[in-house]
Amino acid sequence: MTYLRQLGAVVRKDLLVELRSKQRLATMGGFAVLVGVLFNYALDQTLVAPQDIAAGLIWMTLIFAGVMGVGRTFELEAEDGAFQGVLLSPIPRDALYLGKVVSNFVLVALVVLLVLGVFGLFFQLDYGNHPVVLVGILALGALGFVALATLFGAVSSGTTLGDTLLPILVFPLLVPMVVFGASATGRLLLGRPVSEVEGQLRMLAAFAVLATAVGAALFRYVVED
Amino acid sequence: MTAAVSDGSTGAHPHPDPAAGGQFDPGAAVSGELSVVDLVRTFGPHRAVDGVSLTLPQGRFLSLFGPNGAGKSTLLRLLSGALRPTSGELFLGGAPLRTREPGWQRRIGVLSHQTYLYGALTARENLRFFGDLYALDALDDRIHAGLASVGLAARGDDPVRGYSRGMRQRLALARTLLHEPEIVLLDEPFTGLDAHASGVLRGVLDRLRDGHRTVVMVTHNLSEGLDLAQEIAIQVRGRLRLWVEAAELRDSGELTALYRETVEAEDPVAGRVGAGGG
Repeated sequence: MTYLRQLGAVVRKDLLVELRSKQRLATMGGFAVLVGVLFNYALDQTLVAPQDIAAGLIWMTLIFAGVMGVGRTFELEAEDGAFQGVLLSPIPRDALYLGKVVSNFVLVALVVLLVLGVFGLFFQLDYGNHPVVLVGILALGALGFVALATLFGAVSSGTTLGDTLLPILVFPLLVPMVVFGASATGRLLLGRPVSEVEGQLRMLAAFAVLATAVGAALFRYVVED
Repeated sequence: MTAAVSDGSTGAHPHPDPAAGGQFDPGAAVSGELSVVDLVRTFGPHRAVDGVSLTLPQGRFLSLFGPNGAGKSTLLRLLSGALRPTSGELFLGGAPLRTREPGWQRRIGVLSHQTYLYGALTARENLRFFGDLYALDALDDRIHAGLASVGLAARGDDPVRGYSRGMRQRLALARTLLHEPEIVLLDEPFTGLDAHASGVLRGVLDRLRDGHRTVVMVTHNLSEGLDLAQEIAIQVRGRLRLWVEAAELRDSGELTALYRETVEAEDPVAGRVGAGGG
């Protein structure tokens, strides 16, 4: 119970701070909308069918927007040394990490819904017969992404490069997730049955679980002296 | 008696001091007694804390003075567990401290230069957050009492971002004491405070001298530090150079001269600059 109370305190605090400041949501949401608008004008839809490239666009928008938001997780914590105060408390470091993953996941999940709405609006995308499965795929991708980005966000925040280092550290590790995620998303957008993406779903789930477990195990070595 | 340390390898308090030939016996210490033995912390080639040994009995209040760069804050960070020592050991109540264990962190309260507060949250939300991290019971009562003790009960629902420096520092003190730590570490608590805020802070620190809490306060303000403390120590270039009972200095009024003499012996430039409030 103590563990869950500590984890819940981190989630509640992070979301409350974001609710008050709206800094990260505004940044991520604004970016997602702008990408949709720009691609709407950049793509000649008489030559390229949006349905054919939408999966890649959705995943790239999600990841770039996510980096902009999750990368600032520890920057916001630096205000008046607040994170140092957290580290001096008895919260287990894995609970602290998981709390941050949960709060970051909530923010990125909101951006996922926004991305689907924006791309549906601009490209008249048909989300097929399995919108719930599609959201599930993107949610697994979001979880895998925030698990890695939260860990490496802590790494990059401790360097002089700050969050500009985050994409360099995280993007290479996201390649397997993007391959499976974009493939599954593309098939569903083209109206293929769910049975065709079950393998990718399992791989995405495995990636998310592995990334979260590794992050929870390594986080203390990143944030402690 | 004033005890000057000539070799710099140890503190000078008349307590276990292996380097001086005494046998350190953790088992003989009482609960709440804070001891460090040959504590060293280096940053590259620089030895910020250089072989400090000291013992502070339970319930004692130590004011630690020293010029800038003497390693006082680093020593405090080592005591808090925020930094790992390069070598040396820490003991609390005779037991070796494993500073990464939650049990240790529950026994320590730290008030630093920074307040460790979230500006977007209210005072009450800040205290609730930290109270949950410590898994405290009766948290509502503790928060109410904590805010009242630092004179912020009426402003508890205001965002901390709108607080003055003095109000933030008072709230930070309430956060430090929320879990009723046995050991309180204070790093320049009076910095940047006006007279009113200093007075409130002084009142709370006075109440800490209850004979149960062990307090270490780093300060440049000699008179403030002397008034509050039962023990006085001076650190220069990473080493404890002097340890003396505060009552002796209050009677003799020699602290300023003693400080200058001690610091100048090791660091002539810092000694000439002197300390404030003295």
